[in-house]
Amino acid sequence: MSRTRRWCEIAAATPVVVVFVTFYALDVAKDPRESPGQYVGLAVALAIPAALWLAASWLLVRHWWQATGAHLSTLDSPGRLLAAAVWTLPEHRRAWGGAMAAELAEVRGRSARWRFALSCAGAALRLPRSGGWPPVALAAGMAAAAAAAAGPLVGAAVPGLGLFAASFVGFLAALVVLTIARSRRVRLPVPGPTALVIVGVALTIAVTAVFLLRYPESLSPNGAVYLAAVLAGCLWLAVATPPSQTGNRLGPHLAAVAALACVLPPTLLNRVGSDEADSLALTWFIFGPPATLFLSAFVAGAVGKSFLTSVQAGVWAAITLSPLGYALGLAEGMRQYAIDGTLFDGAVAANAGVVLSAALSGNWVIVPVLALPFAVLGAGLGALNASPPVTQAQPGGATINS
Amino acid sequence: MAEKPAAWRYGYELCRELDLKPGSLYPILVRLADRGLLETAWETDAPAGRPPRHLYRLTGSGRALATELASGPRPAAALGRSEPRWQGA
Repeated sequence: MSRTRRWCEIAAATPVVVVFVTFYALDVAKDPRESPGQYVGLAVALAIPAALWLAASWLLVRHWWQATGAHLSTLDSPGRLLAAAVWTLPEHRRAWGGAMAAELAEVRGRSARWRFALSCAGAALRLPRSGGWPPVALAAGMAAAAAAAAGPLVGAAVPGLGLFAASFVGFLAALVVLTIARSRRVRLPVPGPTALVIVGVALTIAVTAVFLLRYPESLSPNGAVYLAAVLAGCLWLAVATPPSQTGNRLGPHLAAVAALACVLPPTLLNRVGSDEADSLALTWFIFGPPATLFLSAFVAGAVGKSFLTSVQAGVWAAITLSPLGYALGLAEGMRQYAIDGTLFDGAVAANAGVVLSAALSGNWVIVPVLALPFAVLGAGLGALNASPPVTQAQPGGATINS
Repeated sequence: MAEKPAAWRYGYELCRELDLKPGSLYPILVRLADRGLLETAWETDAPAGRPPRHLYRLTGSGRALATELASGPRPAAALGRSEPRWQGA
């Protein structure tokens, strides 16, 4: 294995270790434990997701190295700088980046190569947008106005939802402006799964609004901003996924079916009312998302013979099941709390805010932190026999615009 | 490019001839191509081990515009501007 690849693996693993060690330090500082065994217990509990993420990061680096990294390692520093700048270009301008990179191969002399690469990198950031900058500036202005207006308007109608509304519109608007700046148009290559994600996001907002109308002030400011960010992210991934990431339609469709199969049973089982059904619902609620993401990615990888397709299926499963699971879970939690003041797992809820927090953490923290690595692991296993990916750093040989 | 309209030119070659930095030249080439004034193609006979280079030449309308600009009064002198008229095209 090359030294550069090892450095890439270390660079990918470092943030994982830093995040989990920081979380451990903050948690014990906030809530000191009573015995050494409790400290060890917390460390072990955090080591499990950390190990999952480390394995996932290793698999991602391995794939990236086969697709791009090995080629990059053959370039000198100016070449890598220019390759990084080209990578930031929108899809329809990528050929121009390839043109600059190809010309760099003809430039002789270290200082001349640096001058050429730096100048081209600057140009890559300034290449004319589709339709020019006015549409982007107009979209940015409208987005800022919408974000500023959304908070007070929604807050007046649903007290407690104002911060969420302002944050959601703000995040979404920023992503829309970014999309307009980078792309000619939004494509919808997989309308069915996209519609399901949109329905999930709409249901999430609707159920949260109903909950807050009944129990105002139960959504914390941090929770409101976090929920807004992840919902905007889900919508953006579903609607404006780059074309290169949507070449295979199997993954998103497979993920949509798997996500529905994951989120519906716990709600139905909870309605049965027996202890066995409740226990089964809880087990499904805990193990369903990791299993769904793993299986979606594994099957997509095995059928599509592509690591990227597999990861894509896992991500689609996550962005589909999280909003749907949250909306159904919160609706069910609200019903349960109104009946006997308990949570989904039977524990007594101190107040309505606990019901909302449980739905938030169960679907928007557990899934990204614990279940998402399973998608990468499933992709790694499913795409074991995949052919090596084609290097993306070279420009195509096809004639364009001639 | 207007002097030898049939010849394909390389980006680095144009930079050196015009004494322009690539960061200035490429955005101009992109705008000209967007407006149909510049024809672009990838080199098809690149030697092994070297990526194919991008080639440029003026289209018919690009040549017509170049001829029109060459025959008219020089805008920089007339308007006291240092930029050629087509730069913002």
